[in-house]
Amino acid sequence: MPIAVSPERPRTGVIKFTGGLIVKGDALVEEDLWISSVTGKILHSQEVFYDYHVIPDEVIDLRGKVLSPGFIDVQLNGAFGFDFSTVPEDMTTYHKGLKQLNKQLIQTGVTSYLPTLPSQQADVYHQTLPYLGPSGSSRNAADGSESLGAHCEGPFITESKCGIHSPSVLLTAPNGFADFETCYGASNLTPTTPHQKSPIALITAAPELPGIASAIPEITSRGIRFALGHTEATYETATAALQSGATMLTHLFNAMRPLHHRNPGPFGTLGKAAGADRPYFGIIADGIHLHPTTVKIAWNAHPAGFILVTDAMKTLGLPDGMYDWTNGDRWEKVGARLTREGTDTLAGSCATLGECVENFWEWSGASVPEVLRAVTATPAEMLGLGGVKGTLVKGADADLVVLDAREEGGRKKVRVEQVWKFGSRVS
Amino acid sequence: MRLIIRDHKAEAAQYISDYIVDRIKTFAPTPQKPFVLGLPTGSSPEGIYKRLVQRYRAGDISFKNVVTFNMDEYVGLPRDHPESYHSFMYKHFFSHVDVDPANINILNGNAPDLEAECIAYEEKIKHVGGIELFLGGIGPDGHIAFNEPGSSLTSRTRVKTLAYDTLQANSRYFSNDLSLVPRMALTVGVQTVLDAREVVVIITGAHKALALRKCIEDGVNHMWTLSSLQQHAHAMIVVDEDATLELQVKTVKYFKSIEQVATSEGFGQGLPSAASTRRKRDSVLQELNSPKSASPTGGKGFLFPPVVEAPRAVSPELVPDSMHQRLPPTPGLEGLEAKELKLDSMHERVDSPTEV
Repeated sequence: MPIAVSPERPRTGVIKFTGGLIVKGDALVEEDLWISSVTGKILHSQEVFYDYHVIPDEVIDLRGKVLSPGFIDVQLNGAFGFDFSTVPEDMTTYHKGLKQLNKQLIQTGVTSYLPTLPSQQADVYHQTLPYLGPSGSSRNAADGSESLGAHCEGPFITESKCGIHSPSVLLTAPNGFADFETCYGASNLTPTTPHQKSPIALITAAPELPGIASAIPEITSRGIRFALGHTEATYETATAALQSGATMLTHLFNAMRPLHHRNPGPFGTLGKAAGADRPYFGIIADGIHLHPTTVKIAWNAHPAGFILVTDAMKTLGLPDGMYDWTNGDRWEKVGARLTREGTDTLAGSCATLGECVENFWEWSGASVPEVLRAVTATPAEMLGLGGVKGTLVKGADADLVVLDAREEGGRKKVRVEQVWKFGSRVS
Repeated sequence: MRLIIRDHKAEAAQYISDYIVDRIKTFAPTPQKPFVLGLPTGSSPEGIYKRLVQRYRAGDISFKNVVTFNMDEYVGLPRDHPESYHSFMYKHFFSHVDVDPANINILNGNAPDLEAECIAYEEKIKHVGGIELFLGGIGPDGHIAFNEPGSSLTSRTRVKTLAYDTLQANSRYFSNDLSLVPRMALTVGVQTVLDAREVVVIITGAHKALALRKCIEDGVNHMWTLSSLQQHAHAMIVVDEDATLELQVKTVKYFKSIEQVATSEGFGQGLPSAASTRRKRDSVLQELNSPKSASPTGGKGFLFPPVVEAPRAVSPELVPDSMHQRLPPTPGLEGLEAKELKLDSMHERVDSPTEV
């Protein structure tokens, strides 16, 4: 009698995660997740089961832990001693350093990110941008964390809100988009072949500066997202920029006009942005840049736009101490706090995205899936990568983290236990 | 038929799942001789699957060599729709155990030729040697699978139009919109279920109490298709207390006492394995058929020619006796008991005329 019970099945590369909680929309559900280590994507398990009679090769017991999409950081200036903006004599050193950073960064649960360049001279962009574009095309888990494209934060920003950006390199754009081309390099804005992607994913600029607002449509038409930041924009100016195609506010509250009850500033667009969608916004929840209540207010104002970012510097992951910076500056790192030597000027952050997640969870009272959304689905949607990154739906990349998220001694703790990239375990 | 009554729904479900586990283990299925299991969907069986998964996780049972056949599936509903029976089975059972997807059979409600799909299903069942145990549930109108009232009790797998009652009952899974409920389904027939070597049915809840009564206390009737189970040699219905609400107290007590006695005498509700029954039957047949066994058991029988006996049993011979002999003596009535009349001639009772 022909019974189809084959003793030996061919290996399929299918891995099943079971016995844990899966982030599904705004809920944690007790479901299994199937991924393919061959394609590096998430599978619709029921479909594969019935259509192809597939049984997983490997079963990962999550033991009650949370399985989430991998974290996405849309504002990271450097880490583990590597700074994206520092151009060495020999660019092969840069390339090596970048590769090293990717391998270390992924251990923290950040499976993709935007390498961020604060305001620089034009030649820095010309030299570094070709290295910083989307790096996931080879889908090789061993490469570590994946760049989704560069984030150019400046130099088209307002001097009065420049923070630690060097005022000497700041620009305006009297010639509109042409000035952006001159600064970043025309080929970095407009790919030479239609299949190529621009190495730039996001540009932060101040819309009130001459020529900036009018250049927004040119930029966004190339698939590059436009964020408002380091700006003196009023509520009206910000709203107009959103109408022109801007979709994001870079590190909300920091380096912009604060909320005034008669002029709400850029923050006001979280309440209403007439004629446009309310923007996404980055929040640095390192416990230093923003008061916990401020973070909570922003979350409550527009949870669907809330994105956690680190704005971390190269000292992320390094021990505390004094570090040399560009232009002869020296910066002091104490825990997650980074300041210019002898001052209180904040110079970015040294908190990992996981720490920011922990803080936000502690302060907001949001549910675990809501908290995780701020570092997964929301940043992915902001970048136009909904359904590809930051989600566990069928066909999305199998970039995953297994989290131990629980309350411990009255404080909420999130520990990254496993990291998976393109369907392979990397940590 | 056996009726097992448990206090609560969960215990009823547990009884069945443990029973199935035992049956599979006793059967000791192999790739060459798989255990063929018929499976239902619905809210009552959910608890059974839950428990089966628990037993699997505890390492008590493997479904590797189990072939499954599901009872039914909607027509035209996408297979991956959350309310499809494919999804139900995947969500509650298949995704949690080690059943081989190649051994799973569920009717395809989106097949281009539905009739051919049904014929093929029956053939597939035959191909694996029939269903060993068919697990079922019923609707409040006593339907088994989608064999709605009025279905032929000899029906086979086929396309079925769903009764209005069923559409209404199922609309709760389709955001209470009757128009979204599929109107047709593919289902195994009543006879397909009855052909299984054993049928086990779970019935829980007060809303199914009337159906249970109709199915076991009344006669076989196509308006309550489960009643056909009365003609099955190995049928077992497992119910909770709520489902017995419409039964006669006598019925409930009867079945409870049967189970109690059987348990105290060390009989489980288990079914003798086909192999052991066959072995016994073979040895009996052998004895009956062998020429040696034809010799009379009497000591000197061989000296006489064989007695030719009447081919049918004789009724006992009539022995005339008087009625009073059959009555027991009644004490305390001495002198009053009816005495037999002495036979005498009339003339003796007349005074003699000679004595003048």
